[in-house]
Amino acid sequence: MSAERVAEARPALASVSRPAWAPGLRLVWLYAISRRVPAALGALAACAVGLRIVLIGHWNASGALLLPLIIEAGAVCVVSVSTASPLGEPERVAGRSLPWLRLGGASAMTAIAVGALAAGALGGHLSGGTLDVLRNVAGVTGIGFLCAAFLGGGLAWTGPTAYLIAGVYGLYTPWHSSAVTTPWLWPGRPPHDLGAAICAGLVFACGLAVFALRGARDQVGE
Amino acid sequence: MTAASAPVLTRPVRAPRRPVLAGGRLLWLELRHNAMLWLLPITLAVFWFVTYRTRMTTAPLWYARATDLQSGIVPDFIVPVVGAGAWMGSREARRHVTDLMTTTARLRCVRLFATWAATAIWALVGCGVCVAVVYGVTAHQVSWGGPLWWPVVVAAASVVAFSALGFTAGVLLPGRLTAPLVAVGSWFVLVLGTELIRGSQSYWNILPVVSGPWDNGQDPGVAIFYPFVPDLSIAQIMFLAGLTVALLAALAVPGSGRVARSVAASIAAAGMAAACTSVVLTGAGTMDAHGMIAIPALHDAASDRPIRFTPVCSSTAIPVCLNPAYGRYLPAVTAALAPMLGEIVGLPGAPVRVSQAAATEQQEAGNAVIIGLTGPQMLAGEYRMLLPVPGGQLNGPYFTTSQLVGQVRDSIGPAVVASFVGAGSGASAAQQAVAAALSWDAGMPVVTDETGQAPPCSGTRCGSGTASSLQRGSPGDAAARRFAALPLSVRRAWLAQHLTALRSGRITLEQLP
Repeated sequence: MSAERVAEARPALASVSRPAWAPGLRLVWLYAISRRVPAALGALAACAVGLRIVLIGHWNASGALLLPLIIEAGAVCVVSVSTASPLGEPERVAGRSLPWLRLGGASAMTAIAVGALAAGALGGHLSGGTLDVLRNVAGVTGIGFLCAAFLGGGLAWTGPTAYLIAGVYGLYTPWHSSAVTTPWLWPGRPPHDLGAAICAGLVFACGLAVFALRGARDQVGE
Repeated sequence: MTAASAPVLTRPVRAPRRPVLAGGRLLWLELRHNAMLWLLPITLAVFWFVTYRTRMTTAPLWYARATDLQSGIVPDFIVPVVGAGAWMGSREARRHVTDLMTTTARLRCVRLFATWAATAIWALVGCGVCVAVVYGVTAHQVSWGGPLWWPVVVAAASVVAFSALGFTAGVLLPGRLTAPLVAVGSWFVLVLGTELIRGSQSYWNILPVVSGPWDNGQDPGVAIFYPFVPDLSIAQIMFLAGLTVALLAALAVPGSGRVARSVAASIAAAGMAAACTSVVLTGAGTMDAHGMIAIPALHDAASDRPIRFTPVCSSTAIPVCLNPAYGRYLPAVTAALAPMLGEIVGLPGAPVRVSQAAATEQQEAGNAVIIGLTGPQMLAGEYRMLLPVPGGQLNGPYFTTSQLVGQVRDSIGPAVVASFVGAGSGASAAQQAVAAALSWDAGMPVVTDETGQAPPCSGTRCGSGTASSLQRGSPGDAAARRFAALPLSVRRAWLAQHLTALRSGRITLEQLP
C-alpha cells in the first residue's frame, strides 16, 4: 500500500465507530497473552480432569487427603507462574493501569482455579469439600504471589511446592502422637476451622496486594 | 628482541588442549549459576521441619534412623530437585539462546551434562548435609551398632535420579509450566505409588521412599538381632541408576550424529532394561521373619545369621537384660518392671532373668503384619519379652523413651505376672484373681487377652484391676481384692506354698486367703 492510499484511508478508518470498552478489552487480552493465560487455563483444566480421575479411585484415609492436595498445589503453581511477564521492567512505564490488571488477573486466575477444581470434584467424594479447596488454593496462591514478587514469576512455584511438603506433613500428623495444630499449616486443619481460614485469607490478601503493587520480579526475555 | 628479529612462524600455534581443565571450568560456572544452590536453604528448612524435628525424637537405633532418613529425604527433596532440574534444563529455551549455544565449541550433550551435573552436585550436597547431621547426632546417642549405609546410598541415588528426571523434562519440554508441573507430578506419582502398595510383594516397593515393609510402623527390633537385609535397597539403587542413565542418554539422542544417536539409544535401552529388571525383582520380594524385605535373587544367606552380642543387664534381684542397642533404656525399663518383679522375686517359679528377645514377623493380607516372639516365652527359667511395637501407619508414631517405658510397664509387667501364675489362655478363676491381685498391688493393669499381653494402660484400666474377665463385684474380683489386701509377707508365704497347685489349676477361688 502506498503512502497516498494510507492517507486516503485515514478519514475512513477514523469514522469507524468502535465501542468505548474495546481498548480496555484489548489491553486485558494483551495482558493475558503476555502472561500466557491460555496455556495456564489449559493446565488448570488438566488439573480438574486429574482430580476427577483421582476421585474415581477408592483410597484409604491418607490417599483421600493427600492426592487432592497435591493436585490443588499443581493448580496453584500454574496460577503463580502465570504472573511472570516476558517484558520485565520496561512494562512498568507503559501505563498506570498495570497494578489493576495484575490485581484483576491474579484474582480471576485464582477464582478460575478454585472453580475448575470444584467442578472437577463434582460427583466424587472430595475430602473436605469445596470449602477446603477454596481455603487451600487461596492461601497457597498467596504464597505463590509473594514468591513472584520477590523471586520472579518464573520461580513463583518454589514457595507453593515447599509449602506443599509441609502441608502434607500437617495432614498426616493427626495419625501420630506429634500432631501439628498450628493454623498456619492450614491444609492439616478441618475445612470449617476459622483460624486456618483466617491465616489462609491473610496470606492470600498479602500476596495479592504485594503482587498487584510491585508486580513479578522478572527480567526481560525470561 | 625487535619485530624484525623475531622468528618467523611457519605454522599456526595451537593452544594446548586441556579438556579436563575446560570441563572443570564449565562445571564451576554451572555450579555458580545453578538454581538448586538457591533452593538448598528451602529444602534443608523443609527437611528440618518435616523430618529432622520429628524423627530425631525416636529411639536412637541405627536402623530406625537410617530408614527414617531415607523415607524423609526422598519426599523432602523430590519437589525442589525435580523443579530445579527442570528449571535448569529449560534455561536455554527460556532465554532464547538455543541457536546461539549451538555455535559454541562444546558439544550439546557435554554442555547439558555440565548443567545437569551441577544440579545433581548441589542436590547431593544438601543430601550429604542431612545425612551428616542425622548420623552425627545419632552417633552420639546410640549405645551399640554402626551406621547403615544402604539407605543413604538409596537417598543419594534418588536425588541424582530426580535431578536427571527434571532436567530431561526441562530440555525436552521447555516451557514456563514445565518445572512446577513436573515437580508436583513427580510428587504425585510418589504418593500415588505408596497408596498402591499391598504387601511386601508389591512392585511399588521399588519407590525409593519405601525403606521396609510399608505401613509397618517403626519396629524397634529390626536389624538388631539379625543383620540389615539390603535386598530392597539394592533393587532400588538398580532402578534409580537405570532410570538416570536412560534419562541422560535420552538427552544425547536429538541433535547428534547417527553413530552417537545409536550409542545413546543403546545406553538408554540398557538403563531402561536395568530399571525394569529391578522392578520385576522387587515383585518377587517377601517379608522375612525378621521384618525386612528379602528378594531371593539378591539375597545373601549370611544376612539370616543372628548377630552375636552381649546383653546389658541390670544388677537387680531379677536381672533385666536388653540388647546393647537399648542400653540407654535399661535403667528406665528396669524401673518400670521393678514393682512387678518385687512381687515375685525369691518365690519358686519366678523368672531368673527377664530378657529382650527377637521378634518373628509374618506378612498378612494387605500391609498388615503379625509380630510374635521367636521361641518360647520361658526358656530355662528366663522370661523372654518383646519390647512393645507402636502400631500406626505412614511410618508409625514416634517412639519416645516415655512411650517405651509406659508400654513396658503396662504390657510386659502384667504379662510376667500372668506367666508366673500360669494365667494365660484358659486360666482358672483363681489364677486370674491372683494375677489381678499381684498386678493391682504393683500398680499395673490386669492381663486381659489370651496372648498374655495387656492393652495399653489408659484411664481407669491403669492398675485398677478392672479386667474384662474380672467384672467389678464378681467372685473373682472379690477374691482378688481380698488377696491383694493381705500383707506382702503373707501373700508371699501363701504363694510359696501353693504356687504349684495354683499353676496347675487345682486352686479354687474359695481356697484363696
